[in-house]
Amino acid sequence: MDAEILALLRRTVVTVVPEIDATEVVPDARLADLGCNSIDRADIVTLVMEELGVQIPVGEFGGDHDVRSLVGLFGAYA
Amino acid sequence: MTVVVTALGVVCALAHDAPSFAQALREGRTAITERHDGDEDAPPFAARLTGFEPSHPAARRAPRPIQAALTTAAEAWTSASLDADPLPPGRVALVVGGNNLTGRTAYDLAAKNLAYVPPRFALHMQDTDHVGTISQALGITGEGFTVGGASASGNTAIIAGARLIAAGAADACLVVGAMTDLSPVEAAAYRNLGALAWEKPSVPFDRSHAGFVPGEGAACLVLERAGVRDVPPLARLAGHAQRLDANALADPSADGEVAVMTAALASAGATPAEVGYVNAHGTGAPRGDVTEAAALRRVFGAPGPLVNSTKALIGHCLSAAAVLEAAATVIQLRDGFVHATPGLNDPIDPSLRLTGPAAHPAWIGLALSNSFGFGGINTCIALATPDTA
Repeated sequence: MDAEILALLRRTVVTVVPEIDATEVVPDARLADLGCNSIDRADIVTLVMEELGVQIPVGEFGGDHDVRSLVGLFGAYA
Repeated sequence: MTVVVTALGVVCALAHDAPSFAQALREGRTAITERHDGDEDAPPFAARLTGFEPSHPAARRAPRPIQAALTTAAEAWTSASLDADPLPPGRVALVVGGNNLTGRTAYDLAAKNLAYVPPRFALHMQDTDHVGTISQALGITGEGFTVGGASASGNTAIIAGARLIAAGAADACLVVGAMTDLSPVEAAAYRNLGALAWEKPSVPFDRSHAGFVPGEGAACLVLERAGVRDVPPLARLAGHAQRLDANALADPSADGEVAVMTAALASAGATPAEVGYVNAHGTGAPRGDVTEAAALRRVFGAPGPLVNSTKALIGHCLSAAAVLEAAATVIQLRDGFVHATPGLNDPIDPSLRLTGPAAHPAWIGLALSNSFGFGGINTCIALATPDTA
């Protein structure tokens, strides 16, 4: 798993939802379980895409992703 | 059926809650300052909301107008004891006064790569995001919507809220005057129209007036059907009226203003002689001030009631102006004074009983509060001490 993308995702999650502890953003966690609502999750994904300079079709994020699969998805486009 | 005001919430350049707002009104302090930061695109004279931190977690990522609105709604909610002494589900309504509340957020995003526009903006770009956020934060499940009337939006919201209660659709209604956060494009439009005070400071009804001075703020009134809950009323909403000029322009009309004040008095079952005080629209725009002065003379004759403009203290808060001014009127009714109009030294019409640099102690009894909006939207509400019939 790409450690840099994981670190970026952690920072972004905390930026969008400051109540979440960055150490909870582990590969098996799901953002919804951590307390991110649907709008938080959409904002997080868009901010990470912007940071990486990539554009990933919204449909790609439709499944029930854990942090590991999100990082993999970003990594595939980065 | 009587509609009363049971609580206030205020956030503006002068004060960040209703008790400090009342204190600042008594002192006649003005929050209008001249900026010296070299930003040539921003209005040089303004009453800006600074040092304000939203207390409610639901306002965390919200735009400033929603942060301000939610803060006032939460203050009014608590002050009205709506937590401790709740109404049944669905019996509290929420009306937000204001239109075009999202221009600043849209402006700030306009330079962005469209692929990275925050999805959250799909919510934030709606004026009704105020309704969603406030209702979620306070658990409001009755009717809710926004109403717009340009600079008269606050009074149109108060009127809509009063009608929900009068129609039996709600027992209480939070009426929020939403903050206008002018983007540079919007400020430029007002400037280029000649509406904004730009070259020199401007005081309502003073011969030096030269346009309106923008202010930032929001306010909330809790309106309730009298007698449903055991809470002491601050004031009674004695009457209200709205009249159009059938005119799309920014031109004020004395006929329209006379008509709306006369209709508000009729709605209150009162005569002009019973009015102790008028909170004027009084923006500092020369034509608007002259027109309103003429309308006041025609309705009241001489000597007429005491008159001031709260905009001399907090600037013209546009969408929120009428709710802030209704709050100021309630405070003056309750506390027995008419606040100063600082800087008013050379009145355009000496026959009007305009307050100058000092406050007047006054038992008001019945007051009118005027708000007029671009597009010929004239509004007037009548507020009275709660113990008067």
